[in-house]
Amino acid sequence: MNTMHFRRSLVAGAVALAFAVPSMADETCNSPYTTRLIKGQEDFVHVWTLGAEGVGDGADKLVTVDANPKSKSYGKVVHTLAVGGRGEAHHMGFTDDRKHLWAGGLDSSKIHVFDVGSDPSKPKLVKTIDDLVKKTGFVGPHTFYALPGRMMIQALSNSKDHGGVTGIAIYNNKGEFVSKHDMPMGELGGVKGDGYGYDLAINPQKNALLTSSFTGWNNYMMDMGKLVKDGEAMKRFGGTMAAWDLKAMKPKQIMSVPGSPLEIRWSLNPKDNWAVTATALTSKIWLVKPDGKGGWAAKDVATIGDPAKIPLPVDISISADGKGLWVNTFMDGLTRYFDLSNPEAPKETYSKKTGRQVNMISQSWDGKRVYITSSLLANWDKKGDDNEQFLALFHWDGKELKEQWRIDFTKEKLGRAHHMKFSAKGG
Amino acid sequence: MKSLAGAAGLGLAALLFLCGAAVAHRAEHRPAAVRPVMDYVPPPAGSYALQVIDRAPDGEVIGADGRRRRLAHYTSGRITLLSLIYTYCVEPTGCALAYETGVEIRERILADRSLHGRAQFVSLSFDPLNDTHESMQAYGGRHASAAGPLPWHFLTTRSMRQLKPILEGFGQEIEVERDARGRPTRTISHMLKLYLIDRERRVREIYSTAFLHPEAMLNDIRSLVMEEDARR
Repeated sequence: MNTMHFRRSLVAGAVALAFAVPSMADETCNSPYTTRLIKGQEDFVHVWTLGAEGVGDGADKLVTVDANPKSKSYGKVVHTLAVGGRGEAHHMGFTDDRKHLWAGGLDSSKIHVFDVGSDPSKPKLVKTIDDLVKKTGFVGPHTFYALPGRMMIQALSNSKDHGGVTGIAIYNNKGEFVSKHDMPMGELGGVKGDGYGYDLAINPQKNALLTSSFTGWNNYMMDMGKLVKDGEAMKRFGGTMAAWDLKAMKPKQIMSVPGSPLEIRWSLNPKDNWAVTATALTSKIWLVKPDGKGGWAAKDVATIGDPAKIPLPVDISISADGKGLWVNTFMDGLTRYFDLSNPEAPKETYSKKTGRQVNMISQSWDGKRVYITSSLLANWDKKGDDNEQFLALFHWDGKELKEQWRIDFTKEKLGRAHHMKFSAKGG
Repeated sequence: MKSLAGAAGLGLAALLFLCGAAVAHRAEHRPAAVRPVMDYVPPPAGSYALQVIDRAPDGEVIGADGRRRRLAHYTSGRITLLSLIYTYCVEPTGCALAYETGVEIRERILADRSLHGRAQFVSLSFDPLNDTHESMQAYGGRHASAAGPLPWHFLTTRSMRQLKPILEGFGQEIEVERDARGRPTRTISHMLKLYLIDRERRVREIYSTAFLHPEAMLNDIRSLVMEEDARR
């Protein structure tokens, strides 16, 4: 190859890569519209951690852990960044360019924006958005879902009565408020909306936005032992999902999904147009798919453990090929694998006790690495010795989860380990 | 929020490095685009509101005649569909898709006289060092036009110094990828985005690859036209 030809080839290759924008998904649980998908080895895992009284500085913080096995600090905490105070740190989401991580507080309603693009080993707090309540009347920013140039934020509650009626806020990437959209309360498609919210996820080829429903501030900030004994409070959980026209941001259909449907995952296979969710209180997997009449249908397709024992399914993680689903059940500490080859009939094929309490689960794109954390909500976590707080890495060979390392977040004086996101050096 | 200066700076260095080797493709060398799946009927124009997402940035650009003008000259007074491209881009889901989507929407607008004079397209180069105003016109081919019912302006800038604030204003990151040893490579990454801007230079929609659905985009343009008409 002559020099000029070589240089031309390099440029052509460089530019081809420059526009290799993923049209599918991030590491299987983010918005699909973030760039620079990590299909290889992640370098860092960022853990949005709730401050715990008497543990270290007691403040909410972003904890960065080295996840590269070739690194000397593999499996160790390499950076912590406290945001001051305890605001019920919960979930996070990348902006579309994957440069910034937005992290919410369910109690404070603050949104902390971290720069993780400049140096992922040392995230920096670059902005705190504190006008969500003022601009929208919503409380408890939960899901952060990237759209081009902006962020959709699903809230959990409202400032009027701290109940479950809430909505979606949209901010641009500069952190400026754009619009608000109330969750539906009227009847659509024969089902009445409850106005509640939890997760949201979109499918652009169908112009579809799906939302799920949880409970309001009054409940998620209540001690769990007290909550389960309060019959009236237990009635105040969502039991619906809504299908929206994404372009118009208008709800088109409400589906009855009893028992508080939580995380929503669209199949990442481009040929599929279905999504799954798990219901916290009824311990079911539900499938949402086209109804053949231009709308959507929600169907109960599997049972998770013994619903009578309330295993409390929490986070789920779908494999990149849409053929498998991890389900964590908080109460029994089990991490369960469901064969999703037939989404109409998922089957549990494996389970392992990975902790005394488990909540979040995130897998690498290739499915070989599975990260698990422990905290659900500060007032819902278990007490005493059962209140384990950790981040653990497991390897998955298709047959067995093998623990690689575990960081004790209490011993390390960090707090309650919650949501995880991956990053890589150089993007 | 932190500016994008760091990333843009890296991009500047890489572009300087790349420029000597870059080859401007003629329009006939443009690769075929791979289109995203669209499996829905978009909501009718005027039945929904497009949010005001941000202000469109301004800056100095170079037009078809080689003269310097403000970008605002090309993004105000009409509804603007703006894309950022390279003439030598070979990615089927990148610039080629942006261009072909523009061509398809253009044909539909030209077929509807009620839309004549209401919109304009802008394609602005990411690479001021390789993409001269002449090569941008060559890239635009027969669609490049400064006048008529639907002008399509193919613009460049004098240097990265001029381009950088425009990129920052649009929130358009460019970045040099690094190798395993942390050294800059010759790969620049960025996310394809097209911007729909109203006549008051406000960004009303942003489309990345998965959202480049011409029929829905045309309805967005029609919706802004209806919004303008309702205000008159």
